[in-house]
Amino acid sequence: MPVHSIVCIKSVVRTAPDGVGRRTPDNSELNPFDRPALEAALRLKAALGGSVTALSMGPPVSAEVLAEAQAMGVDRAVLICGPALAGSDTLVTARVLAAGIARLMPYDIVFFGTRTSDSDTGQVGPQSATVLAIPFIGGVKQLEPALTDPLADAPTAPGATASHWRLQRLIDGWEESWQVQSPMAVTIHPRAYQARSIALGGIAAAHAPLDIQTWGLADVGMSVDSVGLAGSPTRVSNLRKIKRPRTCRMLTGEPREQVDALIEELTTKGILGS
Amino acid sequence: MTEPFITAKNRLLRRTVRSFCDQELRPIAAEIDQEARFPWEVVEKMGRLGYFGIQAPPELGGAGLDALSYVIIIEEVSRVSAAVGLCLSVHNSVALYPILAFGSPEQQQRWVPALAQGRKIGAFCLTEPNVGSDAGAITATALPASDHWLVNANKVFVTNGGIADICLIFARTDPAAGRKGISVVVAERGTQGFVVGDLEDLCGMRANPVASIRLYDCRIPRDHLLGRAGQGLTIGMAALDTGRIGIAAQALGIAQAALDEGVRYANQRQQFGVPLGRHQAIQMMIADMATQVEAARLMVYRAALLKDQGAAVSRAAAQAKLFASEAACTVTDLAVQIHGGYGYSKAYAVERYYRDARVTRIYEGTSEVHRMVIARDVLGN
Repeated sequence: MPVHSIVCIKSVVRTAPDGVGRRTPDNSELNPFDRPALEAALRLKAALGGSVTALSMGPPVSAEVLAEAQAMGVDRAVLICGPALAGSDTLVTARVLAAGIARLMPYDIVFFGTRTSDSDTGQVGPQSATVLAIPFIGGVKQLEPALTDPLADAPTAPGATASHWRLQRLIDGWEESWQVQSPMAVTIHPRAYQARSIALGGIAAAHAPLDIQTWGLADVGMSVDSVGLAGSPTRVSNLRKIKRPRTCRMLTGEPREQVDALIEELTTKGILGS
Repeated sequence: MTEPFITAKNRLLRRTVRSFCDQELRPIAAEIDQEARFPWEVVEKMGRLGYFGIQAPPELGGAGLDALSYVIIIEEVSRVSAAVGLCLSVHNSVALYPILAFGSPEQQQRWVPALAQGRKIGAFCLTEPNVGSDAGAITATALPASDHWLVNANKVFVTNGGIADICLIFARTDPAAGRKGISVVVAERGTQGFVVGDLEDLCGMRANPVASIRLYDCRIPRDHLLGRAGQGLTIGMAALDTGRIGIAAQALGIAQAALDEGVRYANQRQQFGVPLGRHQAIQMMIADMATQVEAARLMVYRAALLKDQGAAVSRAAAQAKLFASEAACTVTDLAVQIHGGYGYSKAYAVERYYRDARVTRIYEGTSEVHRMVIARDVLGN
């Protein structure tokens, strides 16, 4: 039962923006939260067969993170790119990605990272699923095919694709189990999958030659005025760095009292687990 | 600013190697130096990821990368652990490369896959107790017998010597023929008469098991001759041209690491009420260090690019190795100076960089030998 996955990835800016963020090859990298999502999809393919497609929307420099995904082992890489896309908010990004995903039909699972390291909204995964009108589970720790249809309580027909899945998600100290029917979208919990180290031969193979499909707006059936700043209903009006002053507090008393006070403080702040 | 020479492939490679080394090697780099321990746990992973067959073709188990990729990898690994960078440089460029360049198809099938995947480690055995820069004066012999070469050799300062499985031995197959009687035979560890001597107790590069290798009446099969009989010095010089680019990259990595630590410390350490970096004396040092590092990088990458273009690289490789190794010594020295007393303590990494840098001016051709090579080429004689 081969599984066809799409992993949506982003080329993020490594350094904090100073004024308008401009992405260059030297200050961009694959969003670290996307790595576990790529890993989850690749492991699924290794176990069940099928394919993994990496999809990104962004400026041309995003081709570099798609090449990185190829070096990790994805089969196909697609970049949705065009000058009109600059300034797109998360809703427009989700609409564009959804349009790209629709073009990649048929698929079983769309993977996202939980958030990006540069804008940190965590919105694009759930918004894309909403636009696609498919089920969505966030913060997934583990996913595996349900060999029987748990919803119908009957065995799935032989040869059918794994349309039913068992998922575990992590949230706020809880682990929830879900049964979901694909096609579906998930975000992968950042600590759930340790992304593989890239083999040097994978880098050579990914670039020999580089094979990334580039789609323009017309290819995904969208118009210039529906995307970018023009099409975005939300806008970041200000970005201000908050400096938190570091303070030093001396603990006094017997060593045992000092240790107790320190543990109390660290536990209260959630640094030590209860 | 986008760097010259660098492509998207090189950038991905650099990020990949940096991230692997930060994760796997950095946490143990100081410890393996102090314990003089070869980090098998990381080396095995590197083997699976292609670090031991960087330029070997994929069909022989290699990563199939070019010389520019090779120097970027050595630079990044050496930035974290110069001793592991040394292991890779020697293995890839003076053990594996000569087999790829001069070995018969059968020899390549026999040795390359295991070497390229790090299942076997390679070494280059040229230096003898009384033979250093004067390679033509070696005394080791490999005398032809009925179905084997009878090899007697005392090779010292063999990088990777303590762990090497496949050793390129430079020996006289025709003692009467002078420099033209020197050949390369491949000796496998475990052959009767193959003895690994004590590990050297070195100033730097301590995680690399540098050892002597001795062969006593060792019978090496006839088909272990690399290239032709008498071709030894040609193979050696070709290997060293490649090797020198690797050592230059290693020196560059050490220098970059020292610059990074110097900058970090200059921004953090306060004296006279301001960070060190606000003092002009320190600014001058940082400026010199950064300039030396960038100049070294340009020379090292240029030598690699010339090699990728198939151009003659002897002079460019010698210049890159000379400049980068001298720069590594200058930059690590200044990094220690910026750290003051702490820089002389093992608590700070610059102490290790300072020790590691020194030998880059000595091995695979001293700075003086490189000046000879460069001058000969410039003067046209």
